[in-house]
Amino acid sequence: MSKLYACIISGDAKKDEAVLLSIAREFSFGIEMLEDGVLFDVSGLENLIGNTKQIIRKITRQLEINYVSGNAAVADTPDTAILLARCSGEPDFAADTTDKFLQLRLRDLEIDHDAVNVFSDLGIHTIHDLQQIPREELIKRYGQEFKNVIDIIEQKGRRLLKPNVKESQASWNYQLDFPVDDFEQLIFIVNHGLDKLLAEVAYHALSTEQLDISFGLPKKLEKSYEVKTAFPTLEKTFWLKLINLRISLDPPESEIVAINIVSHFTKPRPTQKGLYAVSRPEPESLLLTVNKLKKLVGEDNVGVAVLRNQRLAEAFTLDAEKIPKGKECINLRSENSLIAFSYFNPPLPAEVYVEDKRLIFIKTPDFNARVEKYSGVWKGNSHWWNTPWETWEWDIEVENKGVYRLRKMDGKWFLAGEYD
Amino acid sequence: MSHLSLIKTLNFLKEERKHSDEILLESAGLVLTRGTVAEMAGGASSGKTSLMLSLLSKLTRAGEICAVVDTSNSFDPCTAFLAGVELENLLWIKCGGGIEKAFMAADYLVQAKGFGAIWLNLSGISKHELRFVPKTYWYRYRTRIKETPTILLVTAEEPVTGSASQKSFLVSRERTVWSGKGRYKLLKEFHLNLHSRKEFYGEPILTKIEFDYTDV
Repeated sequence: MSKLYACIISGDAKKDEAVLLSIAREFSFGIEMLEDGVLFDVSGLENLIGNTKQIIRKITRQLEINYVSGNAAVADTPDTAILLARCSGEPDFAADTTDKFLQLRLRDLEIDHDAVNVFSDLGIHTIHDLQQIPREELIKRYGQEFKNVIDIIEQKGRRLLKPNVKESQASWNYQLDFPVDDFEQLIFIVNHGLDKLLAEVAYHALSTEQLDISFGLPKKLEKSYEVKTAFPTLEKTFWLKLINLRISLDPPESEIVAINIVSHFTKPRPTQKGLYAVSRPEPESLLLTVNKLKKLVGEDNVGVAVLRNQRLAEAFTLDAEKIPKGKECINLRSENSLIAFSYFNPPLPAEVYVEDKRLIFIKTPDFNARVEKYSGVWKGNSHWWNTPWETWEWDIEVENKGVYRLRKMDGKWFLAGEYD
Repeated sequence: MSHLSLIKTLNFLKEERKHSDEILLESAGLVLTRGTVAEMAGGASSGKTSLMLSLLSKLTRAGEICAVVDTSNSFDPCTAFLAGVELENLLWIKCGGGIEKAFMAADYLVQAKGFGAIWLNLSGISKHELRFVPKTYWYRYRTRIKETPTILLVTAEEPVTGSASQKSFLVSRERTVWSGKGRYKLLKEFHLNLHSRKEFYGEPILTKIEFDYTDV
């Protein structure tokens, strides 16, 4: 079965984007939004609507109904359909598409400006004129790249329709005839809405893990709820239970006059299961675990470490919004173990005996010992532009103990941590 | 057809090959087994943290997700980064000194399954406090982690896991090497001694760890 593509080019595509999309949806599922219009696959509509002219007529009728000014064209290849829609004027339903295409000017094709001028001087103005010249001669003169232009004029363009319209949500709304203030009634209506909404989500072969519910109240007030799950599901009873619990926790202040439910599609997840796949927790399980941990130790204490590009004593922070991704990394770091550092939290206060500008002895609540070796002093604080170098640091090796980082701030000594 | 039951199904083989059971830590010559509890105990500056970071570096670079249960907020991401740990693949849980929270957090992580390694860092917790931890916790971890690709790593000042751990090492610093002379010295490397508590007659493992002065 031959393919057939339709293209609508609008005068103001940005403004008419939604309308163009809805018109295209009435004819096809394979839709590509263009900068100045929309391209869609209408293959097979000959059986339903009729020949090419009838399809164009139907599309044009839709444009008129929606008050959109634009050109529509139908052709065997996407290139031809786009060219015809872009370059032909008002639709002439009596004219044959092929004839119209042959009469298109060369300027409308993507040909170098100089080449068009040369063609013009030679009396070649239309696609029909160019088709008379042998293909090999054109390629010899303008190079292999000209093959693309020749393919287009021969209606053999290789351009494919690239569907780029992605739905991210589905919604259901309902204006109630009578205000509802009874919880049972409300759940009954929501149940009905969920039926339709989840069916729509399933129709897109997707699932959802977030529902946004908003109730219209009198005096144009609104009450909104957000219900999320840790895993995508289309189980209606489960969603209804969650909605039930969420609303009972914080019921609307007055009777409800309108209901709007939005379901956010869950992004399809690529999965790789093979011999060399490394082990990672399932994303749902990871999310659930992270949330359980946040509940246990606090929202801001679970996440991924992020380094800060600053010369500070602790040049890192914990990003609680992030969760580990499990990205494979190829870097050529050495396999040797490096000396790690461990912070004391809080820093250990110390007394340091200095003799002849040398660190001799250290006293802390945990130990008293002689300083065997040390290196420093390092100026440890950044932000020199607004504060002086306030933190001085030394690496010290303490007799029969460990190797520590000693810090002096505001005249007070601390052990910031140990090298471990 | 009963003889065919001896042949492993393709699915089973795939599952088996998904993760090799042993993790080799080349720098220290250690082999740790997944699905078990492993422990490294040692005093101040014994190098246990460095060895843990080496292991995490190996796993996170391969794309595995690991977790650090930071009992006393002592974890330093800067040195972890220098040691090659992919911080994006590492879940950091700060427990703020709460030992009970740390054990609960480790329990949640063990139950989640699929983590490459869970490092329960008990450094900074006093020996007195650690002695109050019921031994049953460790057996619970051991049972939970069995048959999973996860390895539970524990670091503390003294051995705590008892017979629940499959590998247990006592780490100590033999000597510290400084470069330079007089006042102008720099910390260069630690020479470590790892003594396995499970292989009593085994030779101790000698290894060294270096200081990296690269700016983060």
